[in-house]
Amino acid sequence: VTAPSGGWSVVVDGYDEELQRVHDALLSLGGGGVGTSGGTLLARGSAHRWLVVAGIYDGTGPETHLLVGPVLTGLAVAEADERLRRILDLRHGVLTEQVRDPDGTVELTRFVSLVRPGTVAVRTVPAAARPSPPRLVADLPAEEGERQGVRWTRVAGTHGGIVAAVVERRRDEVVDDVVAVHSDPAGAPDPDEAVARAVALDGIGVDALLAEHRDAWERRWETADVRVEGDEALQRDVRFALFHLIGSVPDHDEAAVGARGTTGTAYRGHVFWDADTFVLPFLAATHPPAARAMLEYRLRRLGPAREAAAAAGRDGARFPWESARTGRDVTPRTARDRTGELVPIRTGDEEEHIVAQVAWAACQYADWTGDHGFERGPGRVLLVETARYWASRVRIDHDGTGHIDGVIGPDEYHESVDDNAFTNVMARWNLRRAAEAVERFGGDDLPLDTRTVEPGEPGRWRAVADSLVDGYDPATGRYEQFAGFSDLEPLCISEVAPRRPIAADLWLGFDRVRNAQVVKQADVVMLHHLVPEAVEPGSLRPNLEHYEPLTAHGSSLSPAIHAACFARLGEPDRALDALHMASRIDLDDLTGTTAGGLHLATMGGLWQALVFGLAGMRARDGRLTIDPHLPTAWDGMEVRVCFHGSTARVVVARERIEVSAASPIPVRVGDADAVAGPTPCRFIRSDDHWEPAP
Amino acid sequence: MSLVIACVDASPAAHPVLRAAVATAPVLGAEVEVVHVPEPGRPELRVAAELAHLRVHRPEGDVVDRLAEAAQGPDVALVVVGARERRIGPRTTGHVVGRLLERLDVPLLVVPPEATVRAGIRRVLVAMKGTRSNAKHLTRAIELAAGAPIELVVCHVDDERTIPSFSDQAAYDAEAYAQEFLDRYVPGGRGARLELRIGDPTEQVLRTAEDLDVDLIAVGARGGSEAPSEVARAVVERSHVPVLLVPVLPTGTPTVPARRSDRPPPGSSRTPARSSGSRRPRGDVPAGDGTPKPR
Repeated sequence: VTAPSGGWSVVVDGYDEELQRVHDALLSLGGGGVGTSGGTLLARGSAHRWLVVAGIYDGTGPETHLLVGPVLTGLAVAEADERLRRILDLRHGVLTEQVRDPDGTVELTRFVSLVRPGTVAVRTVPAAARPSPPRLVADLPAEEGERQGVRWTRVAGTHGGIVAAVVERRRDEVVDDVVAVHSDPAGAPDPDEAVARAVALDGIGVDALLAEHRDAWERRWETADVRVEGDEALQRDVRFALFHLIGSVPDHDEAAVGARGTTGTAYRGHVFWDADTFVLPFLAATHPPAARAMLEYRLRRLGPAREAAAAAGRDGARFPWESARTGRDVTPRTARDRTGELVPIRTGDEEEHIVAQVAWAACQYADWTGDHGFERGPGRVLLVETARYWASRVRIDHDGTGHIDGVIGPDEYHESVDDNAFTNVMARWNLRRAAEAVERFGGDDLPLDTRTVEPGEPGRWRAVADSLVDGYDPATGRYEQFAGFSDLEPLCISEVAPRRPIAADLWLGFDRVRNAQVVKQADVVMLHHLVPEAVEPGSLRPNLEHYEPLTAHGSSLSPAIHAACFARLGEPDRALDALHMASRIDLDDLTGTTAGGLHLATMGGLWQALVFGLAGMRARDGRLTIDPHLPTAWDGMEVRVCFHGSTARVVVARERIEVSAASPIPVRVGDADAVAGPTPCRFIRSDDHWEPAP
Repeated sequence: MSLVIACVDASPAAHPVLRAAVATAPVLGAEVEVVHVPEPGRPELRVAAELAHLRVHRPEGDVVDRLAEAAQGPDVALVVVGARERRIGPRTTGHVVGRLLERLDVPLLVVPPEATVRAGIRRVLVAMKGTRSNAKHLTRAIELAAGAPIELVVCHVDDERTIPSFSDQAAYDAEAYAQEFLDRYVPGGRGARLELRIGDPTEQVLRTAEDLDVDLIAVGARGGSEAPSEVARAVVERSHVPVLLVPVLPTGTPTVPARRSDRPPPGSSRTPARSSGSRRPRGDVPAGDGTPKPR
């Protein structure tokens, strides 16, 4: 995998039997909720090709998994071999493959439309490379048919189904294939729909489809690009991550964003906190309709979340740790791990902080967009129902202190712990934020069959929030990760491990890490990243310095969050190692699982490390706040976002910040306020603070 | 018709060698030929009645030279020899085995003297390191057996050097890793399933073989002039079932595509430790060799 200069493309030369599935995932294409592998379209028996649609599942319960739909095959006669070159154009969302031979070059260009959901197109040049019509084939048993001369193939699972129809058009030396993908989460989709759409798409033509698709990608980058000056390799890796974040999340209807998005089928397409916590902020800040579609996914599953809360004897809504089609928990109960042991999986029962993450995601969306309709309506519902859950979940002790017993925090090495600081502080934040929302917008006229908030409820939420213990020790400035954590074996993983990151549970055995002060990923530190306003002022440094050496970084989510926190600490150079690690997780297949799809949450974390961490940008109190910390090796950075309906461009240099926006937006840098608009506002560094520039 | 060459001396170890050769030959669609090099002052080879139908060649001269010559034939698919007899503690790899490995490019089945050899091979454990050249040669051995009704279990053991950097959700990471490992190193699947283990490779391979009650362990062994790998030697020395040593030529030799050097198994990047600047007192180092304790 190479990267030409410019940072806008990824190139894979040759056909490597061993790494082909990794390459096919890296080169996967997504748009409008449809994703397909970057597997070669040339003849190759073992090529790895698939197509998935976000939210279209097969199976039930923990076995629920993404349904794999039909893919085009038989597209060219040339063999995929060492002459093959595949080029992924990140700027325009187009994958081109070329094979040169003495007779000339065979070139296939394909894209998954960002404009028209469910549209895949392939152009083959020359036509001689395509002697026969294409076929749509599926791994699963499929139905095939033909209508109006258009062939279709349909696969149907226990619930959902995907049908694809293809129209081929030949002219001169070019063959165009347009595939319409139509899906139904509940049943077998109607082939007529796919056929009609394929005919309509054929009428538009690949030239026009490609032109509008390229324009759409360019527009997306106008509000999403992050430029890094002084680190060309990182630049390419960052755009690679943003490319897949953009491609994996549809911006209409609802968006079920599985752990691998639409870049693969691993993790069965289940939706974890990855979506709400790591992926959504990027979209809230760059393309709000996609973030809104992600929230819509949660909102449409409010019913099962309420049922889950009621079944546990609680109030409100208890969102599941793993979610798929129905919104009921689909976390497996047992699994065989890398040691070959059958182990119980407790995250489904105990990783309850997911409830607060959904509320946090709703607030991220509201903070970045200023979407008052959402805040007043469905956003308020999410806050109210999650706060009700926590209010009923907290146990009030005889001394009046509130406790949450028997949970798992982000550090999954420790199960069934009491008063996990992360869970308690997030719950407290959730309760207070809900109270604020009700005080601001009132407690009645709530949509989605939501019970009116009783007059005393917000006060009770605040009282419960105030009662919650959080393990904070003013003497050290540290939060205890959970009650009793500091009594565990003081095993400092950074001093004893042969290297980090390391899956410490596999290296030392689960029993050992469970009884030791070994942390899988940012837990207390994660609080400082997610809700810096809800932790004790000045507590980032003592907690980061204390917990980082105890952290194995055995989760792919960990490095990016630590990078963000080191940056916010004002030590951006310490952030760089972790930042590079996060940027290479898939490109170097550091997990050995990239073939199953890309680590979308790590990619979202990378964006957060850059934008929330190094650029120090947040949407806060109706303003865009900026507090940059540039690494020594960098000359500057530029971040494009969308804030309160306006596109914005933030250019950060060592001594200067410039912000421009399509329409006026309030900006704060340090204590200095200004309004950015088409005429940029500028700030200059003066000693240790920033001042508005004339 | 391909041949399985069973190399025996006149010791009691000859019987399990012959039985193993007879059990293995149908898997390869081969016939068995017995080679016995008489040694001065040692008794004559006696073959049990049930194996009396086997053709026995009795060339004279240096044992290893004659066996190697017999094994050079174009139709030879497998050579079967006995491991040295166990006395106290683990047996050592016999010098015949070591010298034969240097000269053979076909797999060598080493049969422990105390092995109980079943009449047929039902289940084979293939120990795979997870590198391109190791897999390529082991896969060849798997292919030989693919036509037979044998249950193939691939076992991959990570040790401290190759332990994964990340393990996000145990249920899915192991699943995705196993799928990719099989896709990568056992192309086409061939009905093989994967058992992942962590710890000392020899210990884990032997334990898994015992747990799964396999009839045979296949392991890569460096061919040519290189000594057998440490794991291969240790498995031969301690196994209670026959061990198939599959010559694995180092990457770069003409039989292995030399486009890229061997990669470590997926996910086992040798990421340098970051200095942490920890101010904490040093905790206890992990006990023993750092081998994780099973949950």
